Amino acid sequence: MHMLTLITFIPVLGALIILAWPKDKDDAVRVIGLLTAFISFALSVALFFLFDRKDPTMQFKEFASWIPSMGINYALGVDGLSYPLVLLTTFMSLISLIGSLGIKVRVKEYFFWFLILEAGMIGVFAALDLVLFYVFWELTLVPMYFLIGIWGGPKKEFAAIKFFLYTLTGSVFMLLGILAVYFQSNPHTFDILTLMKAHAGWSERFQILVFIAFYLGLAVKIPAFPFHTWLPLAHVEAPTAVSVILAAVLLKMGVYGLMRFCYGMLPLGFAWFLPILIVIAVINIVYGALCAMAQTDMKKMVAYSSVNHMGYCLLGIAGATVTGFSGAVFQMITHGIITGALFLLVGVIYDRAHTRDISAFGGLALKIPLYSALMFLTCFASLGLPGLAGFVGEFLCFLGAFQMWKWHSAVAVLGILATAAFFLRMMEKVFMGPLNTKWSDLEDLTARELWSIVPLAVLTVALGVYPKPALDLMNTTLVSMVGLLK
Amino acid sequence: MTHLELLYPEMALAAMALGLMLADLFIAPKHGKLLYHLAWFSAAVALCIVGLTVTESAYQGVGTLWTADPMSQFFKMLVLLTTILCLLLGLEYKQLPLRHAGTFAALMLFSSLGMMFLVSGIDLLLIFIALELISISSFILTGFERKNAKSNEGALKYFVFGAFSSAVMVYGISLYYGATGTTRLIGLGEPGGPLFTLSLLLILLGFGFKASIAPMHFWVPDAYEGAPLPVTAFLSLAPKIATMGVIARVFMLLIPAAQQDLTTVFMILAGLTMTIGNFTALFQTNVKRMLAYSSIAQAGYILIGIVSGDAKGLEGVMLYSFVYVAMNIGAFAVVQAVGDDGTAGGNYELSAFDGLSKRSFGLALMMVLFLLSLSGIPPLAGFIGKFYIFSAAFKTGHYGLAVVAVLNSVVSVFYYMKIAFHMFLRPAKDETPLLAGPYLYGGLVLALLGVLIFGIYPEPLIASVQASAQALP
Repeated sequence: MHMLTLITFIPVLGALIILAWPKDKDDAVRVIGLLTAFISFALSVALFFLFDRKDPTMQFKEFASWIPSMGINYALGVDGLSYPLVLLTTFMSLISLIGSLGIKVRVKEYFFWFLILEAGMIGVFAALDLVLFYVFWELTLVPMYFLIGIWGGPKKEFAAIKFFLYTLTGSVFMLLGILAVYFQSNPHTFDILTLMKAHAGWSERFQILVFIAFYLGLAVKIPAFPFHTWLPLAHVEAPTAVSVILAAVLLKMGVYGLMRFCYGMLPLGFAWFLPILIVIAVINIVYGALCAMAQTDMKKMVAYSSVNHMGYCLLGIAGATVTGFSGAVFQMITHGIITGALFLLVGVIYDRAHTRDISAFGGLALKIPLYSALMFLTCFASLGLPGLAGFVGEFLCFLGAFQMWKWHSAVAVLGILATAAFFLRMMEKVFMGPLNTKWSDLEDLTARELWSIVPLAVLTVALGVYPKPALDLMNTTLVSMVGLLK
Repeated sequence: MTHLELLYPEMALAAMALGLMLADLFIAPKHGKLLYHLAWFSAAVALCIVGLTVTESAYQGVGTLWTADPMSQFFKMLVLLTTILCLLLGLEYKQLPLRHAGTFAALMLFSSLGMMFLVSGIDLLLIFIALELISISSFILTGFERKNAKSNEGALKYFVFGAFSSAVMVYGISLYYGATGTTRLIGLGEPGGPLFTLSLLLILLGFGFKASIAPMHFWVPDAYEGAPLPVTAFLSLAPKIATMGVIARVFMLLIPAAQQDLTTVFMILAGLTMTIGNFTALFQTNVKRMLAYSSIAQAGYILIGIVSGDAKGLEGVMLYSFVYVAMNIGAFAVVQAVGDDGTAGGNYELSAFDGLSKRSFGLALMMVLFLLSLSGIPPLAGFIGKFYIFSAAFKTGHYGLAVVAVLNSVVSVFYYMKIAFHMFLRPAKDETPLLAGPYLYGGLVLALLGVLIFGIYPEPLIASVQASAQALP
């Protein structure tokens, strides 16, 4: 059974079919796109039942020799850290494609690039060979460039190239890091699992240098302060579904890499960087929240809230405890779901009103109750209301970090306050008060929009009330991961 | 022993090129296309001769001035392959007068003949004559569009710079003779001393001119912009690769740069070539010029392999050369399809690419793949080439150069994506579908297969490069 290969490459197959499909058959293209994304999702759900929660090592491993003369292999596998992210990717891709059904121009190209992007994202989480990982990592760049550049907003060209160049600059340093560990290991190998056991013989200086190389590549993606400036721009200009996938999955690639490589492969470098990482986490949390508070554009506000939420992930990682790690991974999942829903909801209002200005609305709660209810739920989840999914991750992150970083955690709590403040202010201005008569003929959600948003809302509640299934998935692996720092 | 049997492919090609010149006199201009077909067929015959004898030890050995070894055979095949692809492009090129088709095609063949000698030369005399054969043919080819002022300007600049660099090189060779008492590159003992080093530097200057290594690159943009497009594609590939081949032979195997303390020189040249090429390309609005600067930058990447100086570096040079042929010829083929619009001189401005994805999605997508490969994005062949070269640099401890190289790749993405931007993000001025001829598509598809197959599954290519990276003596 080559489950992971199937999950990764079925979207590529779909993309190729779409490419070969005759022009102007937009509906067929949509069906093929949805179908392949669905098959990929269904297969990754099947793994959920086959996944052995007691096994901390890689499962569903696949191995084939790819470029033997350079020691590069085609190796895939998932553990408790990467499997939840694979599931998140296939799920959010399907949701985003449902959300993309409203795309009217150049449908064929859109679905083509989107499916290539999906394959790249899944591959990043499943790859067990550094070069393979890098190939998938870069594979996400080009589709994203076109998705933002063709279907984006007014400043799309600039946003697209800025995204491309920023990410590429970071990742070429990661490539150098990959080469460095290859030549340091003996015998030379790109195999991630072997390298994770090899670091005992590496000097601290070497680990720090390679850590920096990797970190530059990953921090841009996360995005960690001060490399976050591409994110608001890309988010605001990207079409709705692309914003969703950007926030829900692409940012997670950075955090995942940080846990897998920077921590798992270079513990001395990680330990050296820890005091800086915690500061960056706090800056991300507080500064991200304050920036979000200053925005008048709803989409930009949500974008900055992503910077803030990624800060929680970094906080959890900086704790270097099982609790912190669980919090970070859980936060990745819930941020994907909640922020995905937020972007979809903002997209809905933008489609109707053609503005996202917070102060342009007012009193929408009575006019479009269904929409408002979903928006309230998602906002509350995002600001971390207990009982909803966002709270669990944040709580675990703080709990994990607090043992080692009491003062930093205390400062970071201010970020939670600010987050609550800007979400509440937005809800007040948009949904409360008297109805702005300009919007008296606004319509509520359509069936297509409900199909993409309701599953996310259901998950938000479910994971908030009963997070155990998700935590069980990751627990064994994370327990085996901690303890490298001693 | 003269070992003339080692030169069968060269002899065959020379005979066929001379035949083409003669045939030009007897064939009516309207049948000029026939001569192109004959020309690429001749190159293909020579390619087959080399290809069929590549594993035969009877056809390998050292002659008086030349050597036939796996390394030279590899470069010969690459040059001939490039020649064939460029002649295919020439078949579709609208600006060439059919009246001189035979001359044009024969000059291409003479030029590649020079390159075949160049990559197998082990004596500076042969190397110099080979370089002159390449240069003189190229001067004429560059100025072949007689009515086009830019073509004439490019040819003249090329000629002036070429004559100058030849003179410098001859001077270098005379110093070499003074220092060693021979023009041979083998059996030198342990040469050294300032005179010897100076002679090597001057010879390198001559090579650098042909391979467009900064700071000997000033002729490149004008000559490339003015030359007929198939010639531009040819110049950006074949002479460059052949010269890299001879640089690799001389400065990696026969007189290793490291032993003469020349590694730093090569390092500076590589860094300069990449950086100047890429940063100047950023500001170009003419695609031909942009690709000219891009080809300078690509030469810089290849030089990294020579800086590394070990077996992996040599393999890197050869691997990258191969990959570079595929991606660059592909990019030029699309440029020709778009720019050669029947008007005098064609239109190669960036704006000509506006909305190409609307006019021909296939061409636009292929162009994006070639450009991404040139900038080294996986999973395309260009990535494998860069990866190999960079790992050679890492292995030999040239970390600084590797950092410069990867940052250069990022810069290059900016201008390569500018073309993609015009093709996909700009609306088309006229939305008439763009159709290209069958030979152009043939060349394109070959290039595309190379870029895709060797990007996704490079093992056979790497294996054959590793087998070819052996030289005699």
